Amino acid sequence: MTIAEKQIDSLPKIGPSMETVRTLFIPVILGTTRMGRMSLHAGRLVTEELGKRNGVETELIDIAKLPMPTNDAGEAIKHADFSSKVSKADALVIVSPEYNHGYSGLLKHVLDSCLKEYIHKAVGIVGVSAGPFGGARVIQNLLPVMRELGLVTIFWDVNFSSVQKAFSTEGVLLDESYIRRIDKFLKELIWMAKTLRYGREQISLD
Amino acid sequence: MAKIKKKMICPECQVDMNHHCDKVVYTTDQPQAGAVDPSFGGVIEEFHACPNCGAGASRNA
Repeated sequence: MTIAEKQIDSLPKIGPSMETVRTLFIPVILGTTRMGRMSLHAGRLVTEELGKRNGVETELIDIAKLPMPTNDAGEAIKHADFSSKVSKADALVIVSPEYNHGYSGLLKHVLDSCLKEYIHKAVGIVGVSAGPFGGARVIQNLLPVMRELGLVTIFWDVNFSSVQKAFSTEGVLLDESYIRRIDKFLKELIWMAKTLRYGREQISLD
Repeated sequence: MAKIKKKMICPECQVDMNHHCDKVVYTTDQPQAGAVDPSFGGVIEEFHACPNCGAGASRNA
């Protein structure tokens, strides 16, 4: 056996339990509460595409439906259902519009209500904007937040630029090229989710 | 030599959990006496995952 073969042989073996026993849970967080938000269409589309994958369970978490108080913040206002879903999750998708180059304050308010639930889980970000940049700046602004929360970002994003042209007012996708982009994004996210699940459960820090 | 703490046990499956992460948590709340690590300026929290069911748990390091 060559040295390279010995090195490969010594790598931990991924058993069938990881692939077959437990499905991945990857919820999609819709990060805006604004009336008339076009990001809802993007969130629904990504959730639908995720739901088509074998071995993946998903749901859309709309932060507008989370009754979060604003007279306190952080883990003191943890919402039991949101916390439970993030705990169960192997990865997250965050759909965020770009408001004045940033994310919505209420998205940060919701994200800050958890901490241990995020550790060593994958996250992919979908940026949405009315202009030509597809939320590129909000994605850049979210990256350091994701890192401090303990999430692991993937290098694929989905950028919905001129979102009012990407969807009809009823939410019908008008530009099919997004399906291929979402496919690449989700493949990378699922790979990272499986890898990090294996790491969390099997690879010791000690 | 680093002190080895007792393994965390999964509350669901009763199996040993895997310690996969340490993270410094900064808080303005009054932490337990001695919990703040002076080298890091915050409380070091250990994160564990169950290899059987995937449940997560944490405790102060």
